[in-house]
Amino acid sequence: MFLNSVILILQEILEAALLVSVLLVLSKHHGIKPIWLLPAIIIGVTGALIFAINMAQISEWFDYVGQEVMNAFMQLAILFFLSFLTALHPKNRWVSIFMLITTSLALTREGSEIFIYIGGVIGQAPYIQSTHIQPTLTGAGIGAGIGVSVGVLIYYGLLGLSSRYIVASSVLLLALVGGNMASQATLLLTQADWLPYSQILWNSSALLPENSIFGHLLYALVGYEATPSLFQVISYVCGILLVYLCWCFNLSRIDHQAKYKSPDINVHINI
Amino acid sequence: MSSIRVFLIASILATLTLFNFVAALQGYNSSLQEAEKLFDSQLFDTAKLISNLHVDKTTSSLNHLNDLAFQIWHESQLLGASTNAQGEIITELFPGYGYANFNGYRWRTFVYFDPGRNNWIIAAERTDIRFALAETVIIKAVLPIVLSIPLIGLLIWLIISRGLKPLRDLSSQLKNKQINDLSPIEIPAIKKELEQVIHSINTLISRLGSAWDREKRFTADAAHELRTPISALKIQLHNLKEDLTTDNEAFVQLQSGVDRMQHLVEQLLSLYRSTPSEFSSHFTPVDLYQLAQDVIAEQHQNFEKKGQTLELEGSTNIVEGDLFSLQTLLQNLLSNANKYTPNGGIIQVSVERLDAQVCLKVEDSGIGIDPNDYSKVYDRFQRLHNKSMITEISGCGLGLTIVNHIVELHHATISISPSGFDSGTAFAILFNNVDRPNEK
Repeated sequence: MFLNSVILILQEILEAALLVSVLLVLSKHHGIKPIWLLPAIIIGVTGALIFAINMAQISEWFDYVGQEVMNAFMQLAILFFLSFLTALHPKNRWVSIFMLITTSLALTREGSEIFIYIGGVIGQAPYIQSTHIQPTLTGAGIGAGIGVSVGVLIYYGLLGLSSRYIVASSVLLLALVGGNMASQATLLLTQADWLPYSQILWNSSALLPENSIFGHLLYALVGYEATPSLFQVISYVCGILLVYLCWCFNLSRIDHQAKYKSPDINVHINI
Repeated sequence: MSSIRVFLIASILATLTLFNFVAALQGYNSSLQEAEKLFDSQLFDTAKLISNLHVDKTTSSLNHLNDLAFQIWHESQLLGASTNAQGEIITELFPGYGYANFNGYRWRTFVYFDPGRNNWIIAAERTDIRFALAETVIIKAVLPIVLSIPLIGLLIWLIISRGLKPLRDLSSQLKNKQINDLSPIEIPAIKKELEQVIHSINTLISRLGSAWDREKRFTADAAHELRTPISALKIQLHNLKEDLTTDNEAFVQLQSGVDRMQHLVEQLLSLYRSTPSEFSSHFTPVDLYQLAQDVIAEQHQNFEKKGQTLELEGSTNIVEGDLFSLQTLLQNLLSNANKYTPNGGIIQVSVERLDAQVCLKVEDSGIGIDPNDYSKVYDRFQRLHNKSMITEISGCGLGLTIVNHIVELHHATISISPSGFDSGTAFAILFNNVDRPNEK
């Protein structure tokens, strides 16, 4: 129970912490006030609670594959909002709104799984041995602690980079998150029979088992799969490319604007 | 603005938590393996103990516990078994440890061969119960690591706050320092890391004090040394006036030049004599509209000469300021407008209230300034128009520098933009310190 709890909570918290850290770094780097964070947390946690409470009904949707389809939908939505985000000029007012939406969606998805798991254990308390509750909660605490700590260290690590590498590194991490979202969505849609099964491309279980702690860490950070299918690999690469190309489009537009920018009409000198 | 304290607390706590928790996980795994060995050793002892029991072939209820099972086989005959293992053989009869599934559970088994009696003993324990027992014990050891994190966080916060106190004291001393207080910073028991910083600040303050004293001496000397020859020149001019006709072109030019020089010297001395804080202590309520009327009346002749239309719009608006400086500001702006607006042009002055601010605006239909040059207009001795025009128009390039300085002394804001006419420039000055007679 303890180890299962650590792994599940760590995976969920780490995915959310990575996304929030990178968005906070971009927000700080571009001088955007992080006013989007608190509403995003409130909306995300509320959404996660609603999603977890109604999971039984949601699971019955789409011929009993509602949970898979809804999760895949949220992951694809995160991918597209991330792409929009990187395609926008940092001074665009929609940047904050997209950060809010992306974080809310990520927290709803990750949070709902945590609520379902913890709620399930506590809800079964009268029927399961009480010895299961303490290990579950301790494991949840350790998983959450590691996830949040890695998020904090990524945040300060990125901020510690020189200015010209901050955006490039952040976009690289966002691209990996995007790829991870696309790959997970593909897997879920395959499980829901919305996508056909495709051949397994490789098996790296011997090299790095997916169920080891390091395997779980890599899964949360870069979407590591020991036995990925062809469609998963294709969607992973497409997810990364989508975020990266949106960023390239943004860069070229900023360069173009800088080249042909008309001189300012008003120069205000504040004394 | 990022805080050193938040950075230190968050990054140290995150690092500690990460390493502590990963170490706890590692400890959990190792302890679980050790517990497994311990349980296996117990199982071995149990099997040996059972082998010493004297059992008949009909023994049927040797055990009532559900977490332990055993069977005693002699060749293919079951001599004895616990109540929960009465049926089939639990596992194959090979000596050593193994796993088996029966009674709906997974069991850890140990098969022991007793050579003395030629009996096979199978002892088995439920893996879920072994695991739960081991986990309960290990979690008791891991739990304090998790629970101690908030306490560690609190301690880190206290220690870092204590460590950063000298920096906070220094910051507080610098913040509370009066603008004219050039005494050195004094912090009791300076920390080694701050020694150089405080030494450098004190050296800087000392050099600033010396420079300030030198400037004051220079201003006092310059006031005397420049005013005296100008006064002597004026007396000589007055004497010369008696001997020359009043329309002598050279004399008129000379008198105008000396007057301008006297005006410039007075302006410079007045403006650079005071620091902004000293200057603002002499502020009085000034009606900008009335002042604009006075300055326009004073300079009206210059505009008439060029056939320019001068308009004044707005109403009474009072700001806190220095009358002489504000007069100089308006004179310079109007003089500029007059010089750089062609004959028959329009100059518009307006004084308007904008919420909590008063806007003084001077705009003309003159030649205007290239927007690319806006940032250069306040530079000293800067004349931005082409050379042929500069030679035609008198000036020393200090007018807008002085305007900017006066704006700075009044904590106001100045902006330049194209005027509302077809061509020309508009200077807008926003004064914040509006005097509100009704609210007093």
